[in-house]
Amino acid sequence: MPVVDVDPDELRELTAHDEKSDDELKDDLFNLGLEYEGETEEGMMQLEFAPDRLDRLSVEGVARSLRYQYGDDRGLYVPDTNDADWTFHVDESVPDERPYVTGAIVRDVNLSEDALDSLIQLQEKLHATMGRKRAKAAIGIHDLTMVKGQAYDADEGGPSITYRGVDPEGDSFVPLDADEEMTPAEVLDRHETGTTYADLLDGFDRYPAIYDQLGLFSFPPVINGRRTEVEAESRDLLIELTGTDQWTIDHICNVICYALSARGGTIEDVDIEYDDAKGADDEYGPNLVRPDFSVRTKHLSHDRIETVLGVDLDQHTVLDLFERSGLSASVDDSADADGTVYEVEIPPYRVDVLHPMDLIDDLGRAYGFNELEPRYPDVGTVGGRHERTRLEDAARASLVGLGFEDLLNFHIISGEANYDRLGIEPGTDVVGAGDPVEITGPYSEDYTQLRSWVLPSLLLVLENNTHRAYPQELAEIGLAAEVDESENTNVAEWRSIGAVIARHDATYEDAKARLAALCADFDATLETPATEHPSFINGRVADVVVDGDTVGVIGEIHPQVLVNHDLELPVAAFELRLDALQ
Amino acid sequence: MRLPDSQLAVLEAASATDPTAVDRLADETDLDPAAVTRAAFDLRDEGLVTVDETTDTSAELTEEAHEYLDDGLPEVRLYKAAIEAGADDKPVSMGQLIGASGLGGPQVDIALSNFARKGYGSIDSGEVTADPDADPDSDPEASALETLAAGEPVDDTDLLDQLERRELVEQSERTVRKVTLTEKAVTALMEGIEAAETVDRLTPEMLTSGDWQDVEFAEYNVAADAPSVEGGRKHILRQTADRVKDVLVGMGFDEMEGPHADADFWINDCLFMPQDHPARTHWDRFALDVPPIQELPDQLVDRVESAHREGVGEDGEGYHSPWSRDFAEAVALRGHTTSLSMRYLSGFAGADIEPPQRYFSVEKVYRNDTLDPTHLLEFFQIEGWVMAEDLSVRDLMGTFEEFYNQFGITDIQFKPHYNPYTEPSFELFGTHPTTGELVEIGNSGMFRPEVLEPLGIECDVMAWGLALERLLMLMYGFEDIRDVHGTLCDLELLRETEVVY
Repeated sequence: MPVVDVDPDELRELTAHDEKSDDELKDDLFNLGLEYEGETEEGMMQLEFAPDRLDRLSVEGVARSLRYQYGDDRGLYVPDTNDADWTFHVDESVPDERPYVTGAIVRDVNLSEDALDSLIQLQEKLHATMGRKRAKAAIGIHDLTMVKGQAYDADEGGPSITYRGVDPEGDSFVPLDADEEMTPAEVLDRHETGTTYADLLDGFDRYPAIYDQLGLFSFPPVINGRRTEVEAESRDLLIELTGTDQWTIDHICNVICYALSARGGTIEDVDIEYDDAKGADDEYGPNLVRPDFSVRTKHLSHDRIETVLGVDLDQHTVLDLFERSGLSASVDDSADADGTVYEVEIPPYRVDVLHPMDLIDDLGRAYGFNELEPRYPDVGTVGGRHERTRLEDAARASLVGLGFEDLLNFHIISGEANYDRLGIEPGTDVVGAGDPVEITGPYSEDYTQLRSWVLPSLLLVLENNTHRAYPQELAEIGLAAEVDESENTNVAEWRSIGAVIARHDATYEDAKARLAALCADFDATLETPATEHPSFINGRVADVVVDGDTVGVIGEIHPQVLVNHDLELPVAAFELRLDALQ
Repeated sequence: MRLPDSQLAVLEAASATDPTAVDRLADETDLDPAAVTRAAFDLRDEGLVTVDETTDTSAELTEEAHEYLDDGLPEVRLYKAAIEAGADDKPVSMGQLIGASGLGGPQVDIALSNFARKGYGSIDSGEVTADPDADPDSDPEASALETLAAGEPVDDTDLLDQLERRELVEQSERTVRKVTLTEKAVTALMEGIEAAETVDRLTPEMLTSGDWQDVEFAEYNVAADAPSVEGGRKHILRQTADRVKDVLVGMGFDEMEGPHADADFWINDCLFMPQDHPARTHWDRFALDVPPIQELPDQLVDRVESAHREGVGEDGEGYHSPWSRDFAEAVALRGHTTSLSMRYLSGFAGADIEPPQRYFSVEKVYRNDTLDPTHLLEFFQIEGWVMAEDLSVRDLMGTFEEFYNQFGITDIQFKPHYNPYTEPSFELFGTHPTTGELVEIGNSGMFRPEVLEPLGIECDVMAWGLALERLLMLMYGFEDIRDVHGTLCDLELLRETEVVY
């Protein structure tokens, strides 16, 4: 989960609550759902939070939420915006894979080193969360005074920038953290940030780029140009976002605008003009004014609030709780007379409200969930265990009674441990050699597939415990699986019983005696006709036949298999399907 | 006086003037040394003998020492080769001397380090100079080895310690007990002692013949340790799972069951997890190399897709994320057992489900994580849900307080949280029973309308999840979960861990 570093002094300043101690702040933050994780070397609080309230990814947003919680701010707040001067043109050359752009101008921001750090952190966290590591949305923030707006069309007059496609080897610019001009392809090839994000542009014929009158100054989603870099002294900012979804970039833009507004900035609209030939989002059309600070409304019944929170509330309290959540609500008279319904207005920085239920959560937080008295629900049901797990437990109890130590191993194993070291080949007709259920692109070569039988796991335990006292008599009942396209999931899963007896005089007879005792417990008829299996010594291996069905194998483990596991004493073993004992 | 056979034999073999070792008494009486010791202590308790204990240190030559007895110590061999090559006159190259001395392998290093230590000469830049005055023939280490080889003791403990450091001898200590008769014993022996017939074991014959009435049973040292026995035992994590299951069944929960490898549809899409959610990327998910699932319930798939795209209800909004049926059909190892809850709630796992219901499972889930002391690639998730009309957050809190109370965890705190599939959502925090820290012990919430409506559920469902391993570590204080769960487990830890009930 994301962790945001927040300076407690800034928090006190932005909330105008100098008197709050760090501990009081921590408690207040916990109730907002922000967990204190620790402190940075610079004394910043590290707050962990769930990635829903993206407006709280910066100290400005956290302070806004606290002010609502304290009752200092109430109701919906939407900053005023000035009319558009700048235009963002979208050229038809824009890559189809990343067609959307949005943005805003913010003037007279009161930046400082701390405020700039907070802005950069906000940008990074938005990239990491809603921006899906920049794949879905990428943010560029520029010093407006360094951007030279070219007149796109002589008749329109106002300054503009253009979002377009560029040949990978086309124009060059000086990216941030570099001292030389590079083409976009060179950035991806050798700039540190470029190599990190190069994957995002795999398969693009043209790369996304933003131009002003002087040329290329931003290369989304990778890096900005140095020319327009924001400094602590910057006052007027140009914000641009590009991505794969208009709604997503618009809302991220809102979060940034609100944070800058809290730093004294004045928001100024921009006109976005998509090329006619280029598909703008159908829902919005080709000509947009951004940022989109439109307020959404949702309806919520008083009854539903009371049943979810489990408390009786009067209307006045509910309206107050809405206001203290940064929402505005009124009783909706147009609704049918079946109880009170509220019409709730939701501010444009909220990206998490999809359903009226989300508003009840806000009310609960404002009320204080920990103020609610727990009660045991007055609902009668009958409990019980599943038949499969009851059988498994009964078989396990038998094995433990026979002296086996019950083990619990991973279901994921390597092909080498599952087949090679046991001397068997996948797809052959012996117990354990079913087709592997393999993980696509595994990270670790020790964990590449589901095991197709249990004995390999037990042999690994023996191998890892040669320094422990013998005898080692181990058993496990656990999952085994193989590819089987007749199954709904294309994977056959079953529980398998595996057992090993490792001691200096272990023989076939020891294994057989215990297997027979186990089968007798379940009134199952056991036969052990001779068979061949590469994991066992020839002439000392048999099929396990229970009630007429071949369900497993029993024998003395082959010396080569023992040597493969660095074992220096004989091992007798058996494996069979649990459902044979049903 | 009447004494058991063994005690009488020891008494007769011992002397009042000459303390006799237990081993010698054992030879003379034909008893084993443990029986003699036991008899001696019993006699001491009767005031018939005194037992003196001394500690005897013995030194045994190692295999390496036996080699040197034949060939000479490596440093001595080096010195002799050096003298022969005239190194007492001027330095000779080390290589030449090693060749001449016939030393090889690790002996070369041994020779060089001891050569210098014993002052046989000096080694500088690969050149060896021998001290003509050194006298390797009277090397104390060599003579000590010969003395020991002849079975004679060596009293110089510093010398023995030095030889032990060189791994040429192994020293061991043992307790030697010597027995001496007291005056009371001498008197008693003169007066005559009768042997009582004692028996070692009760036999079936004695029982049937009635002979058991005429015999005396040899006394055992009942305080002594017995050989250790390893019985079978249920795995500690299984025991913990059993407790959890017992508690949940007692609270009216019924157990669920279902596939580990499942369609992403059941694992994620039904849970209203957007398809571009980070948890659904390659980084967190175990995708499997098997064909996609063909048989998904089509109508349900359509309703779930619609919830993702459009939301549910009049005011509902969907995600602004891509959604494809292909991804929904792809097979992966489940990242949570909530996939089972979805199969049950949808009725796909069996019969249609009408409220009220309580269901649970304690089963494995899989996360593509890095193995470390607190993270495994697969672990057990406790999953539970309650379905009823008009459930409230207070019912959820009451249920979990009751559950955790069974494990001694009280004072649960509810931190408002976010999950894509529940609203409201809470992380559960509890006070650690031993350390007193506030620790996270679960995640919970009420399933969202976007989850329930496509499944056709018209009442409320509250759910929670918790890693069983986390509960285990809280209960037992284990520090590394890998010692317990998986093929890297430590059998000794599993054998010795205290049973918790």
